[in-house]
Amino acid sequence: MSAAARASIARRPLLKGLLAAAGVAAAAIAAVEGPRLFAPRYAPSPFDDVLAQLPDRENAIRLGAAFLTSVKHFDAAATAGLLRARLRGHSLAATMNDDLLEARLSEARGWVLPESLALLCALAARAG
Amino acid sequence: MPAFIDARTVPAGSTIQTDLAIVGGGPAGISLALALRDSGLRMVLLESGGLRFDAATQSLYAGRETGVPYIPLVATRLRYFGGCSNHWGGWCRPLDPVDFEARPWFAHSGWPFARREIEPWFAPAQALVEAGPLIYDDAEKWSRALGPPIRLGSGGLYTTYFQFSKQRDSVLPTHFGERYAGDLKRIAALTTLLHANVTGLKLAGNASTLDRLEVATLSGNRFRVKPKLAVLATGGIETPRLLLASNDVMTTGVGNAHDLVGRFFADHPIPGQTATLVLFDGRIAPYYQLIQSANGTNFRAAFAPGDSFRRARGVPGSLATVEGEVQLDATGQAALAETAGALGIDAASMRAFTLGCGMELEPDPERRLTLTSERDALGMPRLKLDMRISDDDFAHYRNTLKELGRQLLAAGTGMIRLLHSTRAEWLSAIDWGNHHMGTARMHDDPRQGVVDANSKVHGVTNLYVAGSAVFPTYGASNPTLNLLALVLRLADHLKGRFR
Repeated sequence: MSAAARASIARRPLLKGLLAAAGVAAAAIAAVEGPRLFAPRYAPSPFDDVLAQLPDRENAIRLGAAFLTSVKHFDAAATAGLLRARLRGHSLAATMNDDLLEARLSEARGWVLPESLALLCALAARAG
Repeated sequence: MPAFIDARTVPAGSTIQTDLAIVGGGPAGISLALALRDSGLRMVLLESGGLRFDAATQSLYAGRETGVPYIPLVATRLRYFGGCSNHWGGWCRPLDPVDFEARPWFAHSGWPFARREIEPWFAPAQALVEAGPLIYDDAEKWSRALGPPIRLGSGGLYTTYFQFSKQRDSVLPTHFGERYAGDLKRIAALTTLLHANVTGLKLAGNASTLDRLEVATLSGNRFRVKPKLAVLATGGIETPRLLLASNDVMTTGVGNAHDLVGRFFADHPIPGQTATLVLFDGRIAPYYQLIQSANGTNFRAAFAPGDSFRRARGVPGSLATVEGEVQLDATGQAALAETAGALGIDAASMRAFTLGCGMELEPDPERRLTLTSERDALGMPRLKLDMRISDDDFAHYRNTLKELGRQLLAAGTGMIRLLHSTRAEWLSAIDWGNHHMGTARMHDDPRQGVVDANSKVHGVTNLYVAGSAVFPTYGASNPTLNLLALVLRLADHLKGRFR
């Protein structure tokens, strides 16, 4: 066996190791960044601070669109202001429970919802 | 004289003298006769039909319906011995105390007495319908063995319980004719006339006393019954027909001096699939969806608005039952995921069901029965029903369901979708309970009621009405148990009159 051949054989394990390491790294990056990379992207909106409270933006958009079909006039800015006030220092769940206690209810295609959730979803639908 | 007589064999033109004539062999008439079995009174029970369904007799019920779609008058009741108990579903539940109250927000409301007045007769009425021990909402104590009730946040609605009539040795509800024929035959002082149609209530010349009943058969026989006292137990449709058609002395009809007979007709709308109920954890005790048997009774749960909620929010009675399981559409899935997610609730095991309902209508004098110029085979004028249901009736029930949705969310138990918003949507789903009520309403004031608190027709000393025709308001409960309690109370009153 020539010296060149011996050197070639010695490089194969090294290359295999490098490829495996690269594969593991790629998988790790995909696992960590994948959802972010492949998740729907939403244009920035003035309401992102309150929209961040939503558990799922896509469901919220669908629900918000349903809510808006029965609303004649929807003032997004005023709604955002109202929600900021309600959510200040409170979780969305706590705010929803306050709505329920005070019988503040809204409907989205017949679904009875706490008003704050319905308004938040409507904002999500408007923000797109 | 045999206890059951075919009226076609009664000598034509004859007059049968008796203490008490009971017109109608349905649950009310049969129960009244049974309750008076030991009274010593000579009684005649007049039933239009025979022991089985007969098309010619049934066709006497034909009439016209206008307005909101309603079941044809010929089909919404049965004209043979046992009456409507021959096709009832056996659902029983006492009216609620608030049902008896005069409520400023509920027009024409207010019975002449509170519920406690008829409570002593619920137990014997329960025995007549063979629904087991009188338990109702106490059923929760032992229904828990089958699973907990659906948890609701504090508020307007609660889980209530129906009990069910079940005829001895049968899977069906008690058919009063079949079930009690033998008992009636054993009452020596009772003569039951089959195929006997009362075609007229003949008042004495003073117009304040019933003199006799004119009776006809489809075979052409005619005779008279001359009672000391008579009770109309002919249901919420035929009772006003007979009162209105008996207009030879009082031209507006018997008991109709104030134009109330036939007005305020009511039934329970039972629109299908009024809402979708979602339970986040998917758990539901079996007694919500199906009749369960335990402790000697059959029972099933429903949601009802409590009395305090009804008073505070001004809503009529209603009952919502859990029906079949359904799948959610995309909006429903989004609503579920977003709501449960925001509340921090795991809804992976969720299940969804439709809700059925029974609603109470607000009394409406224009929802009424009137006579037409058409005649039946016996020469009786046929009826026309002007059926109405207001947008408020739907709105009230919708608000009640919305409160149920609020309570479910507040408890973290589930949520609701209301399926009908517009009048057209409600009417497209409408059906009726075949509960005919209100057309000879009870009120102490003759200007507001056809009968008084004892069910006696105002202005006529010896004529009474038994059955749900006398209900001034209707509640949401099925009427049979309640009308039987009133009938048994009437029986005790009549015993006092003859004493």
